[in-house]
Amino acid sequence: MTKTTRVLTVDDSASMRALLNHALTTHGFDVAQADDGQSALEWLQLNEVDVVITDINMPRLDGFGLIEALRNGTRHRDRPILVLTTESSDEKKNRARQMGATGWIVKPFDATKLVAAVRRVSH
Amino acid sequence: MNPEEIQGIFFAECDESLQAAEAGLAACQAGTHDSETINAIFRAVHSIKGGAGAFGFEALQGYTHVFETLLSDVRDGTVALTAPLVDLLLRALDTLSDHVSAARGEGDTPADARLLAELEAAQARNAGAAPAVVAEEPAPTSAPVATPASSGAIAMGDDDNAVAVDLDSLLDSLTDDFAPAPAAEPAEAPEWLVHVRPHAGAMTNGGEPVLLLRELARLGGRCVQVDCGAVPALDLLDWRTGYLGWTFAMPGSVDEAEVRDVFDFVGDDCGVAIGADAAMPAVRQAAPAAPAAPPVASAPAAEAVTPVPAQPGAPASEQAQSAANTPAPPAPPVAGQSIRIDLVKLDRLIDTVGELVIAQAMLAQRLSNENVTAIEELGMLETLTRDIQESAMAIRAQPIGSVFSRVPRILRELAATTGKHVRLEVSGESTELDKTVIEKLGEPLTHLIRNAVDHGIESAEERVAAGKPAEGTVSLSAEHRSGRIHIRIADDGKGIDQKRVLAKAIEKGIVAPDAQLTREEIDHLIFAPGFSTAEQVSNISGRGVGMDVVRQSVKDLGGRITIESEQGKGTAFILTLPLTLAISEGMIINVGDQSLVVPLANVVESLRPGAGDVKGLGVGRQMLNVRGKFLPILPLHDLVGAAGEPASPENGVLVVVETEAAGQAALLVDGISDQRQFVIKSLETHYRSMEGVAGATILGDGCVALILDVDSLVANAAMTLLRQPLRDAA
Repeated sequence: MTKTTRVLTVDDSASMRALLNHALTTHGFDVAQADDGQSALEWLQLNEVDVVITDINMPRLDGFGLIEALRNGTRHRDRPILVLTTESSDEKKNRARQMGATGWIVKPFDATKLVAAVRRVSH
Repeated sequence: MNPEEIQGIFFAECDESLQAAEAGLAACQAGTHDSETINAIFRAVHSIKGGAGAFGFEALQGYTHVFETLLSDVRDGTVALTAPLVDLLLRALDTLSDHVSAARGEGDTPADARLLAELEAAQARNAGAAPAVVAEEPAPTSAPVATPASSGAIAMGDDDNAVAVDLDSLLDSLTDDFAPAPAAEPAEAPEWLVHVRPHAGAMTNGGEPVLLLRELARLGGRCVQVDCGAVPALDLLDWRTGYLGWTFAMPGSVDEAEVRDVFDFVGDDCGVAIGADAAMPAVRQAAPAAPAAPPVASAPAAEAVTPVPAQPGAPASEQAQSAANTPAPPAPPVAGQSIRIDLVKLDRLIDTVGELVIAQAMLAQRLSNENVTAIEELGMLETLTRDIQESAMAIRAQPIGSVFSRVPRILRELAATTGKHVRLEVSGESTELDKTVIEKLGEPLTHLIRNAVDHGIESAEERVAAGKPAEGTVSLSAEHRSGRIHIRIADDGKGIDQKRVLAKAIEKGIVAPDAQLTREEIDHLIFAPGFSTAEQVSNISGRGVGMDVVRQSVKDLGGRITIESEQGKGTAFILTLPLTLAISEGMIINVGDQSLVVPLANVVESLRPGAGDVKGLGVGRQMLNVRGKFLPILPLHDLVGAAGEPASPENGVLVVVETEAAGQAALLVDGISDQRQFVIKSLETHYRSMEGVAGATILGDGCVALILDVDSLVANAAMTLLRQPLRDAA
């Protein structure tokens, strides 16, 4: 039996968090939520997670700042991180990748695409 | 949580975002151009766009996309934030607000074509001034990779006997232009091959090539060959190089787009070649100069030896760029920690707290009946109950700023239609009051603002002629005062023309032609139903909704509205509202066999009259002389139809009450038994609405007591009995 995949969703929009939560929990994922990069970092100091999904534009600490902090640390350095982006252009994707993201989810997403993206990076 | 609830959250967020953007743009208008302000505006619009897409509000999404693009240029500094641009952004925000309302099902989708054109024209990329910036916005909805997949699926189901085609050439044509498949696939398409070689980059940033292979397997692929020819001798093994390559045979039902999709995240960090003729991509040797990250399963020892840089594999220049694009260390928190609570749960808490207040009062009453007094614990309980109640109320409390923030828009719209430019001064926007009160405050406030601009503020020419600045001022303020909130809406306009108001009231038959009214009473005539002084009914304030409706809605909130006006100087409307609709302070009075509650908001004073203070007036009517001012005495006993003998002014108590419509009056009661907080229970939900009764409550002894609607009680009594005689006596 495999362990439930635990996903941390980071978004300052409560409706986006609720959407992610709804889509992921109905597909059997365990979901934790944070409302910006800073609270995600604080949460990650105390908790383990399999995948991080983060928005880019957020107050306090944005998505790229969060990725940078995780990649520079030791504990979550190799954690798969997916960014939520409204752009599907290659330029944006390359940028996300350069910033250290494992992959991306283009908004608006449907549950199938979201779950596929999470499965593609989670063990 | 169901999708409707999530959508509800989205709309609540939209409101917050709109307010944040409004506040940000107001700051810009006032000269603040710092990046945090602009970023906050951008984020607000961006957040609405994200949700709009997720919930399928296409018009809203399309509009916010254009709006956001311009804001993005402003944020990047490619478009300068000039005053006309702030103006445009404000107008765009107003339309955005309309779009949100339309998405909510409140109103039509606004016509935004002209505004969109203006927004697009303002963008740097369209101005021709910045040729270096490449257009980079493909429509997010049209992901071309999806097309072949869907068309392939349709063809499969419909056509079992289709001719076999050369699959490789078909796939090649697909890669050329992503055109829909021109021909159907055979029922059993042959397998095809895909060669995969992950390079070092596919193993960094949390990537794991095994998962990609697993996904190929999930699509039905079989691993038919592993290329390990490139694996060197152990001592030459470089962990930064991907030596292995895999060849998968994919079923014919899987198309190339699906497979390409699997490798979407890794980009060129994974070599992928498709087709039997294609060769396995070559091993990419890690350049010695560019350090790569260790594989996922690297030993801790290796990490200790090789410090991993921030952006593994990224050239130094890119790192510098990324550092520049990444916001500086975490800024101090801008928003407090907060959670969202379903309003129903909150209301249940408030209800329970209300019951607690009652239970506590009942306990106190019981103990006092048993002659158990001066119990310390009871005092503690009382303090705690009050604390809990205040905390519960505080949860429902919201800053009034959310209502005030609508005002700039109203003023902008009025400026456009009336040509009167008005400056807004706001103070006390952080004053908190109950959410329900806030929600219901919007409409009367809007009306008062419209009224102030339409009727109060003069035209620029008139103002200059009167020695005033051409631009009018409307000031809004809110403050807590003795357990209530005072909201003041003041303008520096021409003030109320009393002669005209009185003439109009007489003409409309609202007052008798010979009526003698105080200045204050004349001012308040504008609240009379059917009153309107506008010579030309404008579509601003004279839309058939008079000031009487404003007064009624304020009254429904348990509040009062008063006017201070000085001709030539301006008019101020003062709204006095309770902080909450659930609990109020009241005086418990007795008449005959009844206990009734008079809201403390109405009570001016209570007194036992001296010998000469009560004057008879006609048959059975009496006046009270309060320090030289004569007030009608209303025997409450008669008004409420209580049993028993009514008290006389000499042996009863007179409670002087203030009302909106009928000024002051003295209620004659048998006695006052208590003054405390009470929980308001609606009479309508349990019985039916009654004239003169505002609601009911439960007293400490468990009895139900009616809460008097002093305004209507006194107004009715005064109207039927005392209005005219009062004038005679005065």
